Amino acid sequence: MIEWKRWRGWLRAVHRDCGYIAVGFTLIYALSGLAINHIKDWDPNFHQRERTLTITPVPDEASDAEAAKRVAEAAGMGAPDDVYRAGDEVRLAYADGSQVTAVGEQVTVQQRSPRFFLRVANWLHYNRGKKAWTYVADLYAVMLLYLAISGLFMIKGRLGLKWRGAALVTAGIAVPLVYVLWSGGPEAKKGLGPAPSGLSQTEHER
Amino acid sequence: MSDPRSRRDFIRSAAAGTLLIAAGGALVRLAADDLTKEARAQKRADGRPRLPPGQRVIEYLKPMGGDEGSGDARDFRLRVHGLVKKPLDLDYKSLLALTQVTKEADVHCVTGWSLLGGQWKGVQVATLADMAGVTGEARYVIFEAANGFTANTALRDATADAALVTYRLNGKPFSIDHGAPVRGLVPDLYFWKSAKWLTGIRFVRDDEPGYWERRGYNNHADPWKEERYS
Repeated sequence: MIEWKRWRGWLRAVHRDCGYIAVGFTLIYALSGLAINHIKDWDPNFHQRERTLTITPVPDEASDAEAAKRVAEAAGMGAPDDVYRAGDEVRLAYADGSQVTAVGEQVTVQQRSPRFFLRVANWLHYNRGKKAWTYVADLYAVMLLYLAISGLFMIKGRLGLKWRGAALVTAGIAVPLVYVLWSGGPEAKKGLGPAPSGLSQTEHER
Repeated sequence: MSDPRSRRDFIRSAAAGTLLIAAGGALVRLAADDLTKEARAQKRADGRPRLPPGQRVIEYLKPMGGDEGSGDARDFRLRVHGLVKKPLDLDYKSLLALTQVTKEADVHCVTGWSLLGGQWKGVQVATLADMAGVTGEARYVIFEAANGFTANTALRDATADAALVTYRLNGKPFSIDHGAPVRGLVPDLYFWKSAKWLTGIRFVRDDEPGYWERRGYNNHADPWKEERYS
């Protein structure tokens, strides 16, 4: 009994410290997770702006400088950092990433700016930088496992895991389980396309 | 000690609020989905329904992320290589100097949206294959893109009539998040096969599952068979 008390004390202490460390990570992963989860409904990384306007087409014989000046003025933009012409296109590039493209008489102005916090959070969540972040993310995942499991035992309470505790833990396990059963899981609508030569469908799985 | 009644009230209120928001969201979605209903009633020339199962029509191409390339036409290079007699290395100007086509095509994202009736301008992959002289051994095509991304397709899919190396949609150039300056287009497969920030087209004998295919997505990706995942 005394031993268990001591263990619960340790669990609580480490749980609390892990919890403190987890705050920053959880904000990054949870907010980015919400943002990325709805990627089909919005751009989680950038504010996008696009507008089109019409101009008198730039004649082929116009110099690059002249073409750039006409297009930039029509678009209400300053002098570009780069001008590139190909076929019927005049492309102007700006240091802030803005692009102005004239195709015949149509000019498209494309601009974007990164979303505060989410751009960086998503970059971390996707582990785009690779390198050391892979190990940091692994560590965070292990810490979450600890938080989840230690949370079961660290406070005994009046009834321990009985009743409400058991019901909530069961619900947490049952929700994903029921969803998998209801949706058919990864095998649902698998559809077997023509298998590439020499390889079965399963050989493509990792 | 907590008051059980207030806890119960809180749970009831939270549940009611959640239900209300969900019902509101469902209503908005149903009311705004005439385009999907309309598309579901249509058939393609090949007899298949215009809208594959599980898809919803949207009006604008959505950016779905990815590891971006430079986006600058000046930096663009397209290698056509692998099992070819004459490998090609094209810059943007050379690409635009080739025979251009505009194809009307619907595209279908594996996440469930479809964009219908887009006018895609570019060069047919079949034209590039002819120019490079693809050998008889080639059976698959690997679309290569910035930062090591690849997408694999069967040769017949990649050289289908509407399969393009494309640089304009509805008269507009692609923005960087849509693969500027040039992306692939294989419209009859889920849209991840239409690689953004295209850098190469490689003809191969044996299939090589690409970036998403190695991460659990279907190797073939036919939207009408809902080949979303492996």
